[in-house]
Amino acid sequence: MKEFKQNDKIELKVGGTITVKLKLGEGGQGIVYLVEMNGKQYALKWYTHDCTKDFYDNLDNNIKNGAPTESFLWPQFLTVWKEKRFGYIMALRPDEYKDFSHFLLAKVRFASLSAMINAALQISNAFRELHRKGYSYQDLNDGNFFIHPTSGEVLICDNDNVAPYGKNLGIAGKCRYMAPEVVLGKTKPNADTDRFSLSVILFMLLFNNHPLEGKLIAAVPCMTEENERRFYGSTPIFIFDPTNDTNRPVMGVHTNAIRRWPIFPQFVKDAFIHAFGSDGIDEPHKRKPENEWQKLFVKLRDQTVKCSCGNETFINPDAADSRCLNCNKSLGKPLQLSVGRSKVILWPGQKTYACHTKSASDHYREISGEIIQNKNNPSLWGLRNLSTDTWIATMPDNTQRNIKSTEVVPILKGVSVMFASGVKGEILE
Amino acid sequence: MGLLDAVSIPRRTMVLFFLVDTSGSMSGDKIGAVNEAIREVIPEINDISSENADAQIKIAVLDFSSGAHWIYDKPVEADQFVWNNLEVGGLTDMGVAFKMLNEKLSRTEFMSDITGSYAPAIFMMSDGAPTDDYKKELEELRKNKWFKVGIKVAVAIGDDANTDILKEFTGNEESVTRVRTPEALKKMIRFASVTASQIGSKSSGVGIGGSEDSNTKADDFTKQLKEYTAENIDPNDVQAGW
Repeated sequence: MKEFKQNDKIELKVGGTITVKLKLGEGGQGIVYLVEMNGKQYALKWYTHDCTKDFYDNLDNNIKNGAPTESFLWPQFLTVWKEKRFGYIMALRPDEYKDFSHFLLAKVRFASLSAMINAALQISNAFRELHRKGYSYQDLNDGNFFIHPTSGEVLICDNDNVAPYGKNLGIAGKCRYMAPEVVLGKTKPNADTDRFSLSVILFMLLFNNHPLEGKLIAAVPCMTEENERRFYGSTPIFIFDPTNDTNRPVMGVHTNAIRRWPIFPQFVKDAFIHAFGSDGIDEPHKRKPENEWQKLFVKLRDQTVKCSCGNETFINPDAADSRCLNCNKSLGKPLQLSVGRSKVILWPGQKTYACHTKSASDHYREISGEIIQNKNNPSLWGLRNLSTDTWIATMPDNTQRNIKSTEVVPILKGVSVMFASGVKGEILE
Repeated sequence: MGLLDAVSIPRRTMVLFFLVDTSGSMSGDKIGAVNEAIREVIPEINDISSENADAQIKIAVLDFSSGAHWIYDKPVEADQFVWNNLEVGGLTDMGVAFKMLNEKLSRTEFMSDITGSYAPAIFMMSDGAPTDDYKKELEELRKNKWFKVGIKVAVAIGDDANTDILKEFTGNEESVTRVRTPEALKKMIRFASVTASQIGSKSSGVGIGGSEDSNTKADDFTKQLKEYTAENIDPNDVQAGW
């Protein structure tokens, strides 16, 4: 196939043409160009290998069904399918979003723990919504994500192997990210195997090392296909497996995992121990569903606060004292908002979301409140209602107050707040 | 070191070997095209390496004529690699080249990175036939485990190149392509170097789609090479008279 040149025109399936402006990059499957359509710029992914009509029709179908969430750089239009070649156009990725591989290679870092947690939340939610639409992604790996280092906002690309339940387009994934049963050829990629790949991505996002690469792999001089089948397929061993220490991370090699594992709360560690233990490895149906990952990262966000040293740290809501992970200052046991199963640490800057304050909501992005400090007396803290609902606060003396939108509930031990029907929060020590 | 500061994830190394025939018959536009094409492709290989969280790519070059020699005494990262034009003259001691390659394909030699390696990609280009006794050396080389699992590709430059020996080297016919023009040679050098680097430096897709005939990286490479050659290299192009 000859490469396209500037100002070449390519016909779209729906009619009309796009104009090639610039080659942006090249990968194993194809070339990405900057193109223009009706004066607007897009990215064109053009396949340099033969594609089946089935592959083309599947993408066409995905376009008709639309993107699961706004995180996906979803295909928008197909070109015509000619001599087994075609391409699709999608939105351009803004420059501020960086390749996930750049985070892994330490070329970019998250500006804060909150940004990291937000990225984990968005990725979990995106795959939850994708699976809820009846799709599976099939080729999850480190090349699929662009992440904003400051906000943690995520864009997911390479959505061309997404297929409805039970369908498989014969995609080659990457061993390091595949579920063991896919590595071994026992099954084709599906939603369960996506969930394994997702847990690998989430682990790497938090710990910046691979969950299965420790001592055993470091001792292998040549990573051949046969070795990959062994370490990612037949006998994968989690580097922090509590019952098997044969594959621990190696000092000086797996530096990030060794540094970061101890600082995360136990419930986060437990989730990964499950994901890469016998249940997660051998029993695809027992893998944690995405909504559980979503809840887990909401919980982690509830416990993340900014210390006076300027850095963020975790607070254990059940501990008598927590210390800042950066400056080691004692932060005591702050008050917390106990609502449903959540315990939100009440600390200036902390936010509540619809998933905390609305009935039957698991919306993790819609902010409903924020902890503020009184301008004249910064030792007085309050929870400002940023929702459109009116809350009812019951004070320690049993008097009740309506807290309308933008009004503030004082943060005092013993105050309770009726956020919505059936959603009552209590401020506890 | 702050909580969110990290060091790079450990990467394996994939060495891309160029074995270049610099015998007298390579003079003129043959070596000219080789020098130009490799110089141009090194930045592309560097791009593949610097974006890749699975492996970094290093380059090693062995040129052979009367005797053989390594351009650098160890594999060098693509961004550090400076390509100095190869000069030509002398015989075609391919056997010596095989022997020297065999010696370096060892954990104590070129494949010694602490974080381990992926199988190498080995790219041979020649316009003739060995003038030394190559058979025993090739036989030994083919027993080398690194060589066995590596991606191998050969370009036969012009009609005098002995493709039988190159086929013995790569292990199959599909991985040997004959080119007859400087343009075709440059295209092949770029395609084979970039594609071998892309495939060789990534975690593999073994077991994909549950298919029983799961491909190796070398198979994937051969398939792409075949497609590319069919579309881009004209087997009847005799314009340059190579």
